[in-house]
Amino acid sequence: MKRRTTYLQHPSAPFDPNQARLSRSVLEIRDLKSAKEERFTVPVASSGSSSEGGLDDEIRDFLVNNVQRLDVRWATSSADADVGDELDGVTPFASRVSSGLHVYLTPGSKGLEGQGDGELHHHNDDDKEAVCRVLRRVFGQEVHRCLDYEKSFTRSDVTAAYQYYAPVESLDGLATFIQETVCGLTDAECRRHARELLSADSFDLSYDSSSRNLVMSAFWSEAPGPGWTEDLRAPAAGSADKMEVGLLGAERAADPLEIKMGGLLGVVGEDEKLKPTLFSFASRHHALPREAFFSVAFPPPTGLHPTMTISLSSAAWQRPPASPDATCALHTYLTLPSHIFGDKYQLGTEYQLGTEDQLFLDSHHLVKLQSVTGETDLEAPDWAVSQWGSNWLFEVATPAANQHPEEWNVTIPLHLRYLHPSQSGYQSVAVPWPVVFWACTASEEVKMHFNPFDRLNLGWEALFAPQTVFYQVHPSTAQKRLVEEVQVPVMKENGLFSSTTIELGTVIAIILGSLWVLWKLGAVMRGSAARRRPDTQKKTQ
Amino acid sequence: MSKAITSSSTSTSSFFTPHKIYPLALLLRLVLLLYGTYQDSHSPLKYTDIDYLVFTDAARFVAEGSSPYERATYRYTPLLSWALLPTTYGAVWFSFGKVLFALSDIVAGWLLARMLRGYYGMNESRALRYASVWLLNPMVANISTRGSSEGVLGLISCLLVYLVLGVDAADAAAASSPQAKRGGQGKGQTQRLTQVVAAGIVLGVGVHVKIYPFVYGVSVLVFLDRQHAHAHKTQAGEAKNQQQQQQQQQHKQQFIYQLLTPARLLFTLAALLTFATLNALMYHQYGWEFLHHTFLHHLTRVDHRHNFSVYASLLYDSAAASASSFPGNAQAAGIIPSIERWAFLPQLGLALVAIPLTLARKSLPGAMLAQTFAFVAWNKVCTSQYFLWYLIFLPLYLPDSSFRQNPRLGVGALVAWVVAQALWLQQAYNLEFLALSTFVPGLFVASVGFFAVNVWILGVIIQDIGSLDW
Repeated sequence: MKRRTTYLQHPSAPFDPNQARLSRSVLEIRDLKSAKEERFTVPVASSGSSSEGGLDDEIRDFLVNNVQRLDVRWATSSADADVGDELDGVTPFASRVSSGLHVYLTPGSKGLEGQGDGELHHHNDDDKEAVCRVLRRVFGQEVHRCLDYEKSFTRSDVTAAYQYYAPVESLDGLATFIQETVCGLTDAECRRHARELLSADSFDLSYDSSSRNLVMSAFWSEAPGPGWTEDLRAPAAGSADKMEVGLLGAERAADPLEIKMGGLLGVVGEDEKLKPTLFSFASRHHALPREAFFSVAFPPPTGLHPTMTISLSSAAWQRPPASPDATCALHTYLTLPSHIFGDKYQLGTEYQLGTEDQLFLDSHHLVKLQSVTGETDLEAPDWAVSQWGSNWLFEVATPAANQHPEEWNVTIPLHLRYLHPSQSGYQSVAVPWPVVFWACTASEEVKMHFNPFDRLNLGWEALFAPQTVFYQVHPSTAQKRLVEEVQVPVMKENGLFSSTTIELGTVIAIILGSLWVLWKLGAVMRGSAARRRPDTQKKTQ
Repeated sequence: MSKAITSSSTSTSSFFTPHKIYPLALLLRLVLLLYGTYQDSHSPLKYTDIDYLVFTDAARFVAEGSSPYERATYRYTPLLSWALLPTTYGAVWFSFGKVLFALSDIVAGWLLARMLRGYYGMNESRALRYASVWLLNPMVANISTRGSSEGVLGLISCLLVYLVLGVDAADAAAASSPQAKRGGQGKGQTQRLTQVVAAGIVLGVGVHVKIYPFVYGVSVLVFLDRQHAHAHKTQAGEAKNQQQQQQQQQHKQQFIYQLLTPARLLFTLAALLTFATLNALMYHQYGWEFLHHTFLHHLTRVDHRHNFSVYASLLYDSAAASASSFPGNAQAAGIIPSIERWAFLPQLGLALVAIPLTLARKSLPGAMLAQTFAFVAWNKVCTSQYFLWYLIFLPLYLPDSSFRQNPRLGVGALVAWVVAQALWLQQAYNLEFLALSTFVPGLFVASVGFFAVNVWILGVIIQDIGSLDW
């Protein structure tokens, strides 16, 4: 197991060498105010020894047998701390996903049998369900709608990966899972790490079958309380484990696409001293200055057709500092759980009403719907939908050069599915804030994969050309939660109005109505019969 | 045949002349069409109906050589997307479908006027007055120019009535002058049967396009040869008096044979063949998708979204309860399990059996109006477009209607119908736009109220048609 811990401070932040004291077998960190990234790389053995990273059999079997590539991305729903705040916009940890749990799965060769002829029956149901079982075990009951990857996952045309989302708001489930099944009872250090996850801003997990490495990383944008205080211990002698540490600051480099990092690096147990270092790299993800922010609301009354309103601060619609010949456009990427959806025809990817539709998009400050994947059925109620929901990538309009509006709102008309009846007549549904970012083209020479903190497989970045640089607009910290609650009116079922009342009422109405019409028809028959008799007599005369 | 009945030319001073009404009907639609184009290009709120975008999208898929069913929610015959292929030519061609639908309206209106003159013995002015209920109806013109295809259904229904009434009028003429009958029997008979076959084809197309016209088949079968049946019935009455015992058995058999007249058989055959051929053709072209979207979807359709139907609340409730994933709903299984499955019984019992058997002999359009009214009111899904299905028969019913003879009743019915809808719409608005939970009691009670108004109006219609002499 390899562990890499990176503390990231603003270059001007006070740092006392006593805050990081390296001895032979331990690095003592004391009251260090900084952001932090922890990264664990765990080799997954195909069978046998369960010593490696403490993975139990079910998880290991799943990874080895059912996964070609798996990426899990989780982001907090809490808005109190933001990535760019402490670091004044210069950070290699700028990329964002909507809050909640995102899963990207390319099933392993075993699960893919029979894929060639497009038939589903070769798939073993158990293999398809494995991912959901594992997700439920690791992340808890909020993943309960996951049945199997054919039914519950969506699939992007671009990456061909299966995609899943669940509104997991806290890493409670993961922390408990790690404490109970990975740490064992004695490893207090491990249990402390697991608890630390509860305050993490994001958590990533990646596995691919070629490297057989499970990479888990977590990021904290700020230290809890007075600062990080922990002992980073050297691995036991003779083991293949490794403990790398970096205490770094990030600065803007001369090239706007690059980030310059300097500070101290060391390997605990190997190095006697932390070594000073200075390096720079081209970064795929950049944070905009903290004045560039957005907030999301569904202005009431929401009805059954709520409009997502994304309000952008003026700094957010300024072109980012990409190279002058780059093409830049502002985008937003929505993650919509199944109960809320857009009309892809109204928003127009497939076909458009010629120029007229542009008027509609213009009025919403949208330029174009670039991509939509997932459940877009326009009529199905929520209970008839098996996929988790849908993802939408929009190019967003910015004010014209000569315009200087006070605020700039992008609105996205959405629709609600019918939900189950409830006691109150309302059900509350959660919609995570989208991510908002600028995407700028970058020349072929820019080598972004040299970045030791590069982050890929976020759902949206794969929808752009590989040479694209992203600038994140920060979610506003004015609201505490990066999730909007929408009240959905549903059928009220209590007291006088129950299913029984509706059934009885309907049946009585239908029966009375039918009887009335039959009675009228009967009167016609009787009338005709009465008239025919004299009529017949007349004719026989 | 209509020439014989055409009456006085004193109507020149009237507003209701062909030179005024038809151009006016055209102008009304042209203005709406142009206004719609203007609104579409200047406002994000579109005049064009969502369904029209579905049709034109589907036509574009066809133009590209793929299936119209590539377009989600395209639930119509491929014929529609083929007919709208010109809409893919770009620019003003986009409105081709709307023009087609609007012209269908006007042709249907022209047929109405022709029938009123030819078979109702009205003069031109009076016929146009009634036809204007359709021709100059802003609701009809609006629906067609927004791009809804219901006007085409109006034309199909109208054409069916026109053809069958033509056969009946010829029969009546033949019955009243036996000499004429004897004289041109061969030629007349061929012409008559050709018209019967044409009616069958029209019905076959109608059912292929929108299913519901199949209920008209029964009415037409009852109505066709009613002159014969009438004659035979009187004969049978006489016979009974003379040689009751001996011939009763024979008459029963004869009665069956009398029912199976050549015209009725031909009509049935033509309708079935047309329907089957069209379906086979479309199935050959688009396979299962065609069957699924055009027919099976509508048969198994459970619309959970609120609509005018009296069943809407029940469907929402029972569909949600039967979705097993919801744990807290075990008690909601209901007193009568899945009532909605039996909804077709009262609906078809009235629209397909009781109404045509009682009324069709007296008046074909009257029976068809009552059938459509019952079909729509008792349907599990009901939206305002469906109202157009029976509006087409109104000009043929109004002359015999107590709503016209007793204006207070007529206005009362109209007001009740409109108010019941308005009450429902208000509840729907509160739900849809203000997010108020108005499913119960609001929408439920409003839909029962609207149903009650419909039942009452249907009762009056039945009474009116029933009092016609036949």
